[in-house]
Amino acid sequence: MLTIEGGGETPVVLSGRLDATQAAAAQSYLDRLQGVVTLDCSDLQYLSSAGLGVFLKTHKRLLGAGGRLRLTAVNRHLQDIFSYSGFDQILEIDPGR
Amino acid sequence: MSENALFARRIDVLAEIFAFTTAAFARQGVPAALLADVDFVLEELFTNIVKYSRGKAPVAIEIAAIPQGVQVTLTEPEADRFDVTQAPPVDIALPAVQRQPGGLGLYLIPRLVDSVQYGYSEGERCGRIVFRKTSAAPSPGAAKRNGEERC
Repeated sequence: MLTIEGGGETPVVLSGRLDATQAAAAQSYLDRLQGVVTLDCSDLQYLSSAGLGVFLKTHKRLLGAGGRLRLTAVNRHLQDIFSYSGFDQILEIDPGR
Repeated sequence: MSENALFARRIDVLAEIFAFTTAAFARQGVPAALLADVDFVLEELFTNIVKYSRGKAPVAIEIAAIPQGVQVTLTEPEADRFDVTQAPPVDIALPAVQRQPGGLGLYLIPRLVDSVQYGYSEGERCGRIVFRKTSAAPSPGAAKRNGEERC
């Protein structure tokens, strides 16, 4: 289960698990946002490659319009996924804890 | 001690798989800190089967506690041979505009677990993947086995 709240002037708060069953809904939500988008991942417990795909697609779209995607408060599991996939080199990531 | 369960080949079954791993970890005393990586590997393997395999029979997952960790076995009947340990390399140094998400799942598997082995039974057309995850430091790179298997 994944819940997404916020955006615009406030960070987007992701809570729960971003897996293959939730990727389409997450993509649809993030597709509406512009500029520099901050994702608060303090309650994001789990991320699979489907979630990585959502982040990559969103970041590339934002880059094309002068924005970017940045992530804050990522847990150890997410840090490992970002590190092993090289996403820590293309996304601005603040472990935050 | 080990536990087995069968899962239909549908993406929405992922929630059932995650419930199974969570409960099995708790019952067998497997460290909860290992759960996310195990779920990640199972999700990548299972969704790969759902997307690309032609078989219809349920997929079996077995979870067994080992010292400081867990051994997981995923058995796919009615399978074509596909060695998940031989996934194509991914260039993770590319800039964002050149990156594609495809292939990352299988690429990440050996980096998240201690070992992963693939076996295939020609006679039974059965694929089996065994991986281990422990609290010890991960050792990137996968052991591989292509020997004849029995399902």
